[in-house]
Amino acid sequence: MASAPRSDTPSAVPPLAPARPVIWPPRVHRTLSNGLEVVLVESHGIPKFTGELFFRSGNAVVAAQAPGLADMTATVARTGTQRRTSRQIEEDLRRMGADLSSGAGADNSVISFAGLVDFSNELLGLVSELAQRAIFPEDEFERERRQLVEGLRIERTTPGFLASERLRRVLFGAHPYGTISPTEEQVTHYRVEQLKDFYQRYYRPGNALLVMVGDFAPEKMLAEIETAFGAWTGGPAEGAPDPALPELQSRRVYLVHLPGSVQTQLSIGNRAITRKDPDWLRLTLANSIYGGAFNSRLVMNIREEKGYTYSPRSGAHPMRQHGYFSIGAAVRNDVVAAALKEIFYEIDRMRSTPVGEDELDDARSYLTGVFSLGLATQDGLAGQLATATLEKLPDDYLETYRERVLKLTSADVLDAARKYFDSEHAQIVIVGDRAQIEAQAAQFGAPEVYDAQGSRIQ
Amino acid sequence: MALPNGLRVVISPDRTAPVATVGVYYNIGFRIEPRGRSGFAHLFEHMMFQGSANAGKMMHIKLVNSSGGVLNGSTHYDVTNYYESVPSNALERVLWLEADRMRALKVDDENLRNQRDVVKEEVRVNVLNQPYGGFPWLDLPPVAYRNWSNAHNFYGDFDDLDAANLDDVQKFFKTYYAPSNAVLLILGDVDTDEAIGLAERHFASIPSGPQPTPADIDEPPQIDERRGVVEEKFGTLPGIAIGYQAPRRLTPEWYAAAMLDHAFHGGRSGRVYRRLVLEQQIAVDAEGGIHYPVGDLFDYNGPTLMVTRLLHKPEYSADQTIAAYDQILDEMKEKGIAADELEPIKVKFRSNYFSNLEGGHGPSIPRYGLMHLLACFTLFDNEPSLVNTILDGFMQVTPSEVQSVAQKLLTRHNRSIVIRQPAKKGAA
Repeated sequence: MASAPRSDTPSAVPPLAPARPVIWPPRVHRTLSNGLEVVLVESHGIPKFTGELFFRSGNAVVAAQAPGLADMTATVARTGTQRRTSRQIEEDLRRMGADLSSGAGADNSVISFAGLVDFSNELLGLVSELAQRAIFPEDEFERERRQLVEGLRIERTTPGFLASERLRRVLFGAHPYGTISPTEEQVTHYRVEQLKDFYQRYYRPGNALLVMVGDFAPEKMLAEIETAFGAWTGGPAEGAPDPALPELQSRRVYLVHLPGSVQTQLSIGNRAITRKDPDWLRLTLANSIYGGAFNSRLVMNIREEKGYTYSPRSGAHPMRQHGYFSIGAAVRNDVVAAALKEIFYEIDRMRSTPVGEDELDDARSYLTGVFSLGLATQDGLAGQLATATLEKLPDDYLETYRERVLKLTSADVLDAARKYFDSEHAQIVIVGDRAQIEAQAAQFGAPEVYDAQGSRIQ
Repeated sequence: MALPNGLRVVISPDRTAPVATVGVYYNIGFRIEPRGRSGFAHLFEHMMFQGSANAGKMMHIKLVNSSGGVLNGSTHYDVTNYYESVPSNALERVLWLEADRMRALKVDDENLRNQRDVVKEEVRVNVLNQPYGGFPWLDLPPVAYRNWSNAHNFYGDFDDLDAANLDDVQKFFKTYYAPSNAVLLILGDVDTDEAIGLAERHFASIPSGPQPTPADIDEPPQIDERRGVVEEKFGTLPGIAIGYQAPRRLTPEWYAAAMLDHAFHGGRSGRVYRRLVLEQQIAVDAEGGIHYPVGDLFDYNGPTLMVTRLLHKPEYSADQTIAAYDQILDEMKEKGIAADELEPIKVKFRSNYFSNLEGGHGPSIPRYGLMHLLACFTLFDNEPSLVNTILDGFMQVTPSEVQSVAQKLLTRHNRSIVIRQPAKKGAA
């Protein structure tokens, strides 16, 4: 940096200095004899480590029984083992200075943990116990079930949840990805045997990935991991079913009526792709230009020019089998139609006009820079490693990410926008007070109207 | 160090990764915004992204994003911050941008109208159109405090936001955004001399301004329990927030109160969650902390509360829930805390502190927590190196000190309670 050119007048923007290279810390990637895949990376900024024990099975694999079963399994798995009660587990965690959480999404279940390196042995022992010897106490299950029911009732009053729920249902229909949350009734019918069954089938080393980043020597940590997990047995598990997806017709409007809303949540989407798709980076870059960054077109237009909304954003969401692209904004009730018009105007501009070199360059820099920032904390680095390993991306995926982004062209962006910003088939979800917004929504198509419980009312 | 214009500069080099985080903190928060202008400190924070002398509207955002970085700002009780994390080759550019807007804000009526609209949507999405929006950070102050500075609506009444004009903006800038009322922080991939050189180069020529008169934020002593009820428009469960007037920072009682707070609110092993959620199952959620939920133990410089926030089952009344909560407090006051509970709390406290130094604000802002601590210790205490020694004070707290502070703080006349009452019965 010292040799960088410098500005001498306060009015001139200083140029960028030459970039310093990202030095990749050595990575240990092994598979133990029982099939447990392990990824370890050193990071010595603080005397701590962070870890994630994944199982490559989530809510999707048991969706035929009930939505959310994997998540409930993960929740109750932390509440008792053959050796420790729920209270002991929590107190042991505190004694080690550790945090631990467990949960499941559509594709994976995970036990996440972080703690002081002084206690790494003991914390690994506890995590191993939760992965192998959870006993699912009936009373803990009943308590968590009630908490979940109360949580679901509150979710049904949350505009963001209602918008996601409807959009996912529209995009994925009866596929497991089409349901993001169980109903109260389904939760009432959960049985503890179902949780135990999920645990038996999927919490096994052949189905697991352990990622750890922190202030340790990898070889020594590997030995600790062998001690904690080496005797665990169980091969791979079957993958999730992938039933047919609904055919998406032309653009359609879905209105979820939330009485008393003083704002309207918009969520517009299309099905898109997974991270393994060759188009993934093209889509990521196109998204970043469209609405994925503060400096993006969507934010400029409907926030900084028009003041319709506080936090408009678009995102490409990859899952294991499929993916989707969505645009979200919470807007003033009287500008629902105006905001939708601008959202589609910007989509159509992305699809019709090639992005200029300056804007392209800015967006490539943004993606590569934010990627580097994301490697600078233990949690961030662990997250990147987990993504790449879980989805079985090429070994050098992270190392080559930046150079691959820098090679993308304006034609790549145009191509991705035309394929995945499919305005003609875009599905439009609008959550708000029907009386205030229905006429505006109708300008984009006759709305199907739902109540907050998910029932169609028109 | 400080520049001749009074701007303090704190540098924390770490060259492990080629990224840098820059913060500028001003010693002004929403607590002391002008009367009749509730929400103004936050609205003003938005205006700081609308353009400065040499970087017009959107230039700040564009230049940082296109350098591969992220940026934001936030308004707190007693400070307002602006920060960027960037690949380190963009460090000088970021400093130039921060210096430009410290030197001269250049905004017009159109910018103000635009950001007023944006802020109203922010308030709607975070408060008015969300279940439990603003609970309890906007609900407790009007009940707990008598001084307008501490008690008003920090996000802003819409009438007040509408009344704000460009004169207010420039006056506020002139009063509170002088270099002597700020600290610049440079963290990460830079060496110290180079960072000092860059700070001088870009900030030294900014004219100094008068120090603002310290505002009166004192509270009269509380003599009775205070209560309020707020309607919950969307959510299905009743909520209760209880706040006790907390000790001043850096006093012996403050260190002990931090341990007491952790004993109560330290996650699933904390006494409040364990008893009310896990064991008695009266509540379905319980959280809390000192200066919770929009701040922490370190980032306030005036009256604040130790808060507990409960969502409880509708089959229990508020009185029953509060009685169960009181029992937890009474046990602490009567029996105190054993060493084998306090020692693990200290380990966990230390562990949390380290994590906060490294990140503390999601994966894209390395060292946000360190920056935030350094800024508060500089602006409030003029002693950034407290970041290295502050832990000692917590580690030395004894069980009897925890019990004493519990007996002193946790009294009825020292607390305020807000009940958030659902407007409708729980959905079937």
